[in-house]
Amino acid sequence: MKELEKLYDRIIQRVNINLRELEFDVKPYVWTLTPPEQMSKFYAFYGISPDHPLSLQFQHSGLAGSYFLGRCRVTNSLLYKSDIRGDELKKKGDIFQYRIFKIPVAKDEEIDIKDSALIKTLVHNYSHDPETPEKFFIRDTVSTHYANIHGSPTEGCFLGPFATADLTTVHDCVIGAFSYVQAKEISHLNIKPGTIWVRSPGQFNFLYRYPAEGLNQYIYFTAGNQPQGVLIDFMEDRKEAFQRIFDVINIEPSIKVPASASLDRYAVIKPATKISENVLVSQRAYLQNSFLGRGANAQENCFIINSNLEGYNVTAHGAKIIEADMGQNVFVGFNSFLRGRPNCRLTIGKESIVMPHTIVDIRKPLSIPPGSLLWGLIRDENELETNSLPIHTFSKIENKFSKGNLFFEGNGANFISAFQNRIQHILEANGAFFDGTKNKGHAQQNQNISFNTIQPYPKGDLKGLYPNIIIQP
Amino acid sequence: MENYTVKDLMVPLMEYATVSEGATLYDAVMALEKAQEEFDHNKYQHRAVLILDKKNHVIGKISQLDVLRAIEPRNEQTNEIDDIARFGFSERFIHTMQEQHRLKGTFMKNSLESAKKIKVITCMQSPSEGEYIDENTSLDTAIHQLVMGTHLSLLVTRGNDIVGILRLSDVFAAVFHAMKQSEKKE
Repeated sequence: MKELEKLYDRIIQRVNINLRELEFDVKPYVWTLTPPEQMSKFYAFYGISPDHPLSLQFQHSGLAGSYFLGRCRVTNSLLYKSDIRGDELKKKGDIFQYRIFKIPVAKDEEIDIKDSALIKTLVHNYSHDPETPEKFFIRDTVSTHYANIHGSPTEGCFLGPFATADLTTVHDCVIGAFSYVQAKEISHLNIKPGTIWVRSPGQFNFLYRYPAEGLNQYIYFTAGNQPQGVLIDFMEDRKEAFQRIFDVINIEPSIKVPASASLDRYAVIKPATKISENVLVSQRAYLQNSFLGRGANAQENCFIINSNLEGYNVTAHGAKIIEADMGQNVFVGFNSFLRGRPNCRLTIGKESIVMPHTIVDIRKPLSIPPGSLLWGLIRDENELETNSLPIHTFSKIENKFSKGNLFFEGNGANFISAFQNRIQHILEANGAFFDGTKNKGHAQQNQNISFNTIQPYPKGDLKGLYPNIIIQP
Repeated sequence: MENYTVKDLMVPLMEYATVSEGATLYDAVMALEKAQEEFDHNKYQHRAVLILDKKNHVIGKISQLDVLRAIEPRNEQTNEIDDIARFGFSERFIHTMQEQHRLKGTFMKNSLESAKKIKVITCMQSPSEGEYIDENTSLDTAIHQLVMGTHLSLLVTRGNDIVGILRLSDVFAAVFHAMKQSEKKE
């Protein structure tokens, strides 16, 4: 245990050195989050399949309850119940397009986690940094519960609970709880909780900030305390269901899975759930009494409860849909929380875009027209009026726009098409359009994954750490 | 001009506007006005006030920009606009927000009265290492120091004492004069 505590101290110090300009001390935020004893309680595991490269290297690290797929190196780090999903990394010979540059990828890309502590964090996608096309690095970084590091090399950063760095290289920044950042490259910023920021320089800039009093009910995180709020309670209430699937070695799917669909063995499926062709259900997803139509997906840490998804729905990492009816092609962004109630359902019309980190939490039935763009906090009709716009109207913005807490500058059509292109790409990558022979994606490739487990030292100075391990084909 | 040194162009400290560290912003503005009336060597007026401690050592400087910054009203909305400016919006976008805020009627009206009472020590700039220059330094070197640091003036030293101010305007005037002279010779 001594080594693990030393490692923890070392990581905190390194992050604090990076964040000294912001005068931010991560220690009080993370010291209580993962007591060292927890690090020896859970096994780590990794996937092997004929469709994914395999190169895992673990050195002087704790990996409790974490999952690895693809090419990944972890050094001097502590990972707790995190998913390091390297199934979208670039391959040798790929061409990485960055602005006018066509960058040849010289070797298979690798996720490289060093001197970092990741707590219940999802790492996915690939490095979008043109300076490091073969290395998706995460260095001197601490991330907390249900954070997403998605295609975002990070260095010297702190991510609060439910924070997302998406397709952005992040240097020496604090990203507050429930904040979403997609801004190409940022440095030395302290981003307040509940900031939703999507920027493509020269194209558009979208900034929404949650009212603090509204956000605090859902997620509230202060130094020295565990994160609190509706979102944490929601996850805690369903924790036990996951415990069982992690405890059992061989587990059979509890429902019929079409041949072209994929249901991860580490997902929780409650009755009476039905999944259709080309559906992807990732690990740590939770489905209960729901219907997922053709080509829909439920990504990591998604919860879909008492809901119907008509088809080709993207439910991005960490999104939650409860008591809702979603039309075809509805996109629900990262960590969004959409909650109807048993007698007041939430309906979202087809081809709507729910921006990442949106909260819709209603106590009266709410029907959102097809083709809507939603953002921010929506609890009733009034807030819907403030925090939504028809997509075709948004597309007409040519210069600037502001409404409620939203500030937008740039071209609305470019913003919408950037989202629509990305949604199309996600559907393609997930295998939503598989026709039996062509357009294979994760839904088809993930069917052939086996899982191996690895264990930490159970006692002594190294308790909680894993031996140095290299896993290769 | 090539033989000029800093002391040839500096304004001696005694001719410059100064106030004590306990002075208010209003005192500083009055001192500046008085110095401008008394200092009529050339058409370029003083643009800053030096702050002296009890031993008459220069501990800081208040420029016209510092004064304007101090009288700018600060409230939740202006802080919010400043914060939004960190997120990569254009200057034009931010100016529009400021203008909308101003039209709501809070700009300046209430701030002048309260700004007068602000202590200079809270809004002065402490000179950085690059803002000092020895009185015997050549003008060439002084120009380089002004340009590299984008300073409006430099504090001129003799040993450990500050004896004057080298103003950008005086250096510019000297350069301009030299250019005209060389043009006439040709």
